[in-house]
Amino acid sequence: MSAPKTVRLTIDGRAVEADAGTNVLRAAEKAGIAIPHFCFHPGLDVEGSCRMCLVEIEGLPKLELACSTVVREGLAVRTTTERVRRARRDVLEFLLAEHPLDCPICDKAGECRLQDYYDLHGRHPGRMLEPRESRAKKVPIGRGLILDRERCVLCTRCVRFLRQVTGTGELGVFERALRSEIGIFDGTPVDNRYAGNLVDICPVGAITSEDFRFRTRAWFLTRRPSICPHCSRGCAVSVESRAGYPLAEGERRVYRIAARENPAVNGFWMCDLGREGRRDIEAGRLSVPLRQGRPDPGLSWTEAAGEAAAAIGRIPAGERGEKTAVVLNGRLTCEELARARASFVDGLGCRNIFFADSRPGRADGPLLTAERTPNLRGAVAAGFSPRLPDLGELAAARVLLVFGSRLAEHHGGPELARALSGGPRTFLFAAHAGPLDGLAEMAVPVAVPAEKSGTYINIDGLAQAFDRSLEPAPGGPAEGAVLEALARGLGLDRGGGDGR
Amino acid sequence: MGSAWTVIKEILRGSAITARHFFVNMTFHTLRLFGLRTARRGAVTVQYPEEAKPLGPRHRSLHRLRPRPDGRPSCVACMLCVTVCPSECLTVEAAEDPDPEVQKVPARFVVDLNRCCFCGLCVEACPVDAIRMDTGEIRLAALDRKALEVRLDKP
Repeated sequence: MSAPKTVRLTIDGRAVEADAGTNVLRAAEKAGIAIPHFCFHPGLDVEGSCRMCLVEIEGLPKLELACSTVVREGLAVRTTTERVRRARRDVLEFLLAEHPLDCPICDKAGECRLQDYYDLHGRHPGRMLEPRESRAKKVPIGRGLILDRERCVLCTRCVRFLRQVTGTGELGVFERALRSEIGIFDGTPVDNRYAGNLVDICPVGAITSEDFRFRTRAWFLTRRPSICPHCSRGCAVSVESRAGYPLAEGERRVYRIAARENPAVNGFWMCDLGREGRRDIEAGRLSVPLRQGRPDPGLSWTEAAGEAAAAIGRIPAGERGEKTAVVLNGRLTCEELARARASFVDGLGCRNIFFADSRPGRADGPLLTAERTPNLRGAVAAGFSPRLPDLGELAAARVLLVFGSRLAEHHGGPELARALSGGPRTFLFAAHAGPLDGLAEMAVPVAVPAEKSGTYINIDGLAQAFDRSLEPAPGGPAEGAVLEALARGLGLDRGGGDGR
Repeated sequence: MGSAWTVIKEILRGSAITARHFFVNMTFHTLRLFGLRTARRGAVTVQYPEEAKPLGPRHRSLHRLRPRPDGRPSCVACMLCVTVCPSECLTVEAAEDPDPEVQKVPARFVVDLNRCCFCGLCVEACPVDAIRMDTGEIRLAALDRKALEVRLDKP
């Protein structure tokens, strides 16, 4: 592949090099010059409807749109002249003339382009004496999305997204001129698994999500990058959470999960399943360690890991590999899987290593894969061949270590209880509560993927490292730390690990 | 011997100050009685709490939420007061209102007087002039901390 042709142009007197075929707006952005815009989105076709990105181009009599002007050799662009500034202010004044003063109750406030641009480019007093046009303020358009037509600036990002990315085209612009409004066609609400992106791409607060509605304000959120663990695509996400004031002391809440840009994997988008991952972090967690199914706040994970290692140690040396069974899962990071392999396969000679994960779902659209596990490729890369255990294999063991709560999804609770009662000593290390908790001798809560760091290998074989995006609850270690403690307890620790 | 004299000297000095205040105030009260030197008044003792001096118009006392015409609080739960509060004493939880013109109302609005420093920044930050500190209620004492967490959205 030949390198893309580049052209040289000047923006505000600065020499800029840009790939041929990009527009002036992107070229300027690359050079660190921000041109305000509403309707342009790098993941969508150019529309040119908001008129906010007007710039002066040498040799042309009128101001031109930075988003629809393709770069040419020798182009001279100016973005800070008085003419451009006045044009921006006037465009903003037109947009704001009909915009309601909703900022105090608008979920977008704090991350709203209208607010930011008014602060940077507007600062004009209101001149409208007439009452503002009143429009529908709460139109449900499907999949938990709420449309506010008063706030809409008709950039049509949402319409273009549904036509160009998902191809479903549920939204359209109805009526003409002043009466133009975004809406759904009769009886066909937005219904696709990528609808959550509409909230992300809406530059104002016109489309908001019911899930996030009125729950907090944008400026309270801490945004940290992570990788989505809900299918094997490995989309880049940002986990937006809050800990401390204004929440109660010691409380932590994840308010939403939004897409992060990664051209190699997900572009600018993510699916709704990944957004609902907020609940996977917040709800159904195993909160207190259990001993024989009863809550025991005094039980620490180090004690449980030590007890598990001691139980394995009591098996006669020659039978350890035979009589120990381990159930891992595809949410473990590559580092954790390598550690598991070093301890159980290389150290103990254990052959009973199984994987229990969420059942596969239906692949949908450009991102969501049928496999609902983030790191099965990583398991293969670590030298495992993931397969589900059958109950006989589990019952034959003397010590059973289970990581994750998904085993109960494949075998019913009563069957599991029958297999495990009187059989192996079972130790469970799981982030979520489930029917297994009561069956294990000790059940200890561990971290979810957002609370740990490591590497996942996605369905295309791309290894992506990620960092901890949330502070784990005290006493909820990453599985890596548990595996390290187990290795130490078994006398297999060869050092070198950093035990993240 | 020397230290005893110091104590006596201080007692006498204190009595002299008290006596001076008494005679100065008595003089001004007497002159006022005869219509002389009315510009300066003698000191007056207010028998608090039986009687109370009127508070200044800008005095900051216990918070209140100004009601809408229908009696519900006019707060829209925008949390600007929560954001600006330097002593982190406000807790606001928002709820949905069926009226599309209102939309957002507080489900819970609590001010923790254990922490409040009565700076009045919440009043200044409020975009709808919902919170005010003009109740005149200054007797804010309680036997336990919980009682000082005042709920403002319920009358």
